[in-house]
Amino acid sequence: MAPLTPYTYIQCPCSDPSNLSYSRASDSGSPIDGNPGFDDEEHTFDPRAPRSNYSLYPLEYLLYCEDCHQIRCPRCIAEEIATFYCPSCLFEVPSSNLKSEGNRCTRSCFQCPICIGPLSVTSFETQPDPNLLAAPDHAAAPHSGPYALNCSYCHWSSAEIGIKFDKSNGIHGQLAKLRNGGTTRLTAKERKERRKDILQSGGGGGGTAPGASGDTGNDQQAIDMETQFTNLKSFYQGQLSESTSGGNGLSSLGDLGFASPTSLSRIMSIYTGGSLHDKKSKSRVGSMREALDPNEGLIVADLDESAAIEKLHSEGIDGTVDTEQLLNQPPYLGEPHLHGRSRFGSELRPIPYLLRTKRSKRCPVCRHIISKPEAKIQTTRFRIRLIAGNYVPSITIRPLNLNDNNGAAGTPLPPTAPLPDTLQPLKPAHFLLIFKNPIFEGVKISLATPAKTPGRFASKVTVLCPQFEIDANTDVWDEALKDDGARRRGAGGGRKGDERPGSTQGQQRAEAGKIWERGRNWVSIVVEVVPASLRLDTLPTEGPEGEKVDMSPLKEDEDVLEIPIFVRVEWEVDAVGDDLGSSLASSRDKEAKEKRELAYWCVLGLGRVSQA
Amino acid sequence: MATSFSSKRHSILPPISQAGPKPPIQFSSSITIADSALLTGSHTITIRTESVVHPRARLDSSGGRITIGRRCIIHERSLIGAAPGGGLPTTPSRTSSLLAPPREGVEEETAAGPAGVTLGDYVTVEVAASIEAGDTVVGEGTVLGVGARIGTGAVIGKHCTLTPHTIVAAGDVIPDFTVIYSNGTRRTDRRGVADLRNKGQARQIEVLRRMIPSNPAKFQ
Repeated sequence: MAPLTPYTYIQCPCSDPSNLSYSRASDSGSPIDGNPGFDDEEHTFDPRAPRSNYSLYPLEYLLYCEDCHQIRCPRCIAEEIATFYCPSCLFEVPSSNLKSEGNRCTRSCFQCPICIGPLSVTSFETQPDPNLLAAPDHAAAPHSGPYALNCSYCHWSSAEIGIKFDKSNGIHGQLAKLRNGGTTRLTAKERKERRKDILQSGGGGGGTAPGASGDTGNDQQAIDMETQFTNLKSFYQGQLSESTSGGNGLSSLGDLGFASPTSLSRIMSIYTGGSLHDKKSKSRVGSMREALDPNEGLIVADLDESAAIEKLHSEGIDGTVDTEQLLNQPPYLGEPHLHGRSRFGSELRPIPYLLRTKRSKRCPVCRHIISKPEAKIQTTRFRIRLIAGNYVPSITIRPLNLNDNNGAAGTPLPPTAPLPDTLQPLKPAHFLLIFKNPIFEGVKISLATPAKTPGRFASKVTVLCPQFEIDANTDVWDEALKDDGARRRGAGGGRKGDERPGSTQGQQRAEAGKIWERGRNWVSIVVEVVPASLRLDTLPTEGPEGEKVDMSPLKEDEDVLEIPIFVRVEWEVDAVGDDLGSSLASSRDKEAKEKRELAYWCVLGLGRVSQA
Repeated sequence: MATSFSSKRHSILPPISQAGPKPPIQFSSSITIADSALLTGSHTITIRTESVVHPRARLDSSGGRITIGRRCIIHERSLIGAAPGGGLPTTPSRTSSLLAPPREGVEEETAAGPAGVTLGDYVTVEVAASIEAGDTVVGEGTVLGVGARIGTGAVIGKHCTLTPHTIVAAGDVIPDFTVIYSNGTRRTDRRGVADLRNKGQARQIEVLRRMIPSNPAKFQ
């Protein structure tokens, strides 16, 4: 089993239901009927409850709103997009282009459809003989000839799907016009002309029956999705105009059918942008015929799959595309229908790079910006970034090898040493919690833990010193230069703190109500845990209220000893320095000191309990 | 990455330790082999015309003869002729005990010793790739990506591409023009640019010859 490194996750107050109702009430001013199940005093946080899913974050993930004085997690911030850019060429795309051209890079940035590696444009011209390498004019001669997109990772080339380009720039535009195999996509004008030709030669469309004759199958090959759509559209438009001219006064019964003009014009208005929808359609009734012909947009499903089966035989499973590749493919209207066709890897087209965004983040309550990236795309810096690590004390966990018998006897103890990977059940283990204060004021910290961890296997937890103070995060040099501080620390020496309970010459004992060590801006305290036995037969047969106890086998990660701990940080700030303009008058009254507090639940993961 | 080096990064290059016996060699006069390439083993190592062996490439012929074709590029820290069995050799003395038994059809070669690794022409062995010994064959124009590992007895066809960190199982036979991805999927390369690539390889070798000081005499 993988060893577990101790972790600290903080629950953002936004996901605490009691907090939520409180803040909502304060916002709107209307009292919300309190949820009796979530009394703030009674409710202990259970890190394993389904409710706490996605609410625990490492400190590094959290932001802090300076105006609300509250932790903000990725769930409780409002994001807004600052810029769109292509991750490959790092060009900014204006949002107006985005609406017209879509969310992909329209320059020459493409990804390999097979392995998503970046593609480069290479000349397809045969390279000159190696003997001519020394000739100086070789380098000067530019590559002309056709170009292809090439993947340097897996050596895929767009020549494999028959796509070559005339120019080396503007690949996106060129690719949009090319179908697989190199044939050009029909333009709207060409399509119109071709249609006209067919109508003239075929004698007015709709005349020929859609029988399973050979030539309809051939036609289908030629019809791509765009052509079919235009064919269908013009057919239905013709049908609509016919039905208006020959309208008879029947009841509205036919209005609901598929073939009724009303529903048809409604559907068409959905697909063609509302231009066809008019009030007159209400009066139309009767039914119309459907498309009967490829020229009218009918495509008969091709049930003959022998070609696909044959190809599967020859190429095997490696020749087919997987879901990921298929999903990465941008839609391309120039290709024929997928009726009766299977997707093979040999048909995939290059993928234009998806654009990315830089986002700024706001506090949802006060709308202040708490994270704002630099507008320039090439830089990864932030203009504003209020990370919680600069405001909230960090908690680090270190196993402490305290031999209990010796500790009670007061004999010297070994220093902090690595513990075995797992915790022994029913055997007390000690951990050092090191609180580090990042702010420039001294803080007072109160901790609260349930005596027994929530969950089926309740371990006993004792925080030996639940209340303590941490000095301010002053300048390192200030502290070092202070004579007074140096003298005080003389006995302890070096990194060791100045306050050690019951310590004489390196002897240390965990003592209730005393901190373990103290430094410039940190304090370490001891937590004693007695891990529960993970054996199911030790579980009580009945809960305290007589409910049934879950006797199912050990679930995933249920052997991890997690301690919920409520942290309350209190400190005082100069109110004047906080926000000058608005509260200047009021702060004078308050003697320029303001009390601040921050309280949140966090979870300490200490280690796995051995299952022996 | 040989196990004799520790996994930590060194700020200075570790010394090259010539461990094991010096192998008999058969070099063409036009090859480029760096001074700090590492050749060990007891069987013949043959390198044909215009091939390039980078510094710190390791060729271990204790598992059989190593034959490198024309215009091959063997990059640094690659290991040709690794001991079969998945793991890279820890000590050269152990490799001799792990010698693969000669297979059928190679009896006529036993006079010259068992075939270890045979590289065709225009083969590129990228950085930190390893090829296990035991009649392993790599076909013409094949590129073995960074950190790729080829099992013993595998036969790789011509003009294949093995993407970085690909693992080819022992005894696997791979058809010509196959692209193998590191996640195990395969694809057939239909570009038909084998000649072009061979020319490119030749040009790269032209450049490398100027950049790598060659010292074949050291291995005589």
